Amino acid sequence: MSTTTADLSHVRQPIAQANGLPNAHYIDAGVFAEERDAVLFRSWAGLAVSADVPEIGDAVPVTFLGMPLLVVRDKNAEVRVFQNTCRHRGMILVDAPRKIEGAIRCPYHSWCYSTDGRLVSTPHVGGPGQNTHEGIDRALLGLVEIRSHIWMDVIFVNVSGDAAPFEHVHADLLKRWAEFDKPLYHGGSDSRFDLTVNCNWKLAVENYCESYHLPWVHPDLNIYSRLEDHYHIENAGKYSGQGTWVYRQLEGSEGAKFPDFAALSDTWDTAAEYITVYPNVLMGVHRDHTFAIILVPQGPEKTVEKIHLYYAQPATDTALRARNTDQWKRVFEEDIFVVEGMQRGRHAPYFDGGRFSPAMDGPTHMFHDWVAAQMERHRAVPQAAE
Amino acid sequence: MMPRDEQLLAAHAEGDSAALVDLYMQAAEASLDANKAAFFLTHAHVFALECAHPSTDALRATLIRQGRETPLAPPLPPRR
Repeated sequence: MSTTTADLSHVRQPIAQANGLPNAHYIDAGVFAEERDAVLFRSWAGLAVSADVPEIGDAVPVTFLGMPLLVVRDKNAEVRVFQNTCRHRGMILVDAPRKIEGAIRCPYHSWCYSTDGRLVSTPHVGGPGQNTHEGIDRALLGLVEIRSHIWMDVIFVNVSGDAAPFEHVHADLLKRWAEFDKPLYHGGSDSRFDLTVNCNWKLAVENYCESYHLPWVHPDLNIYSRLEDHYHIENAGKYSGQGTWVYRQLEGSEGAKFPDFAALSDTWDTAAEYITVYPNVLMGVHRDHTFAIILVPQGPEKTVEKIHLYYAQPATDTALRARNTDQWKRVFEEDIFVVEGMQRGRHAPYFDGGRFSPAMDGPTHMFHDWVAAQMERHRAVPQAAE
Repeated sequence: MMPRDEQLLAAHAEGDSAALVDLYMQAAEASLDANKAAFFLTHAHVFALECAHPSTDALRATLIRQGRETPLAPPLPPRR
């Protein structure tokens, strides 16, 4: 808890002079809490996917950085995110995924909420059989709704409520991937999996952003996708990642492939891109499938990676889909020893955040710089008030 | 047939909202005391809301006529 005000100016230097974020940003509970507010709650963070609530009335409770939330698809098929607590006594409303047939009834005193969050019943609130009271203004006591935005099926939330609109913050990325802004079809139960990793969530981002490690950690890729076939993707303060020019489609036993997304430009015949949508969503696009990885921090040194794969059409070859899932799972599992190793390394007291390869680590440094900028902005507020 | 109280307990135990609606409506109809009837109607309405029971609107309308409930507010747009 002693390093919460660590100087981050060295992180914000040009890459050739910069150091990475200090150890405290990976192991210190105080810094973790500060990052929660400064980095994850003030931006548009990934929470879940729309495919988690495919049908009207579906409700899934999610704990995000200790905050109990409820993802609901309301009666008009809109996906919403609420604080999962009753406005009466703070009782958890929904404790397991289920279908809401009508209203959400609090199991304690049965206050009821519509799936769009309105408080629709307060039984006996004015005494037995009297369900209104002048002190209870239902218009002010609906479920607390968390600001949300859905893009490429990912549900992003701005917990603080004061970020610029998602489409403004990520205008460049939306333009870059506009060709994939079309219906995406989740592959279903065989196209989702979780990986629990013993590392800080940022290490998963940092590893994902760069291609430098590929020939060492994923030697299989060398067969067709060499280091020099990759390029950096860098948009300071917004997103970063890597791309490849030699994406090769998966083929079934008789040459079957996944269908392509419609109307893609020729670039995507062999290109694929892997971008971190700051702060915590790792996304990939290819001519025939996309994926999203939502990093759900469990604490300073533990993260759950929730992985979802999407296709261009609702019905795809089951066996090929399973192979694709297995292939990506193998790649992501190959990264686990790296991120967990770096996590253990953050307990080395003389590690100084490390130095970056000026040629190869640009996207990772860009993420460090962005995190540091969010921390500085957050810290500037109380300082200015003093 | 089980006495209504036992049926109610069984329906509660099973989380059978539709059965609870029917049983509480029956209890309200059988009650000679207006306040007791309103108590049961309130429960019928709550469980009707929960399971989107066809009687929901009628139950609410009854409670509104008795000055025990208010009309529903219009739907809210999502907070984007």
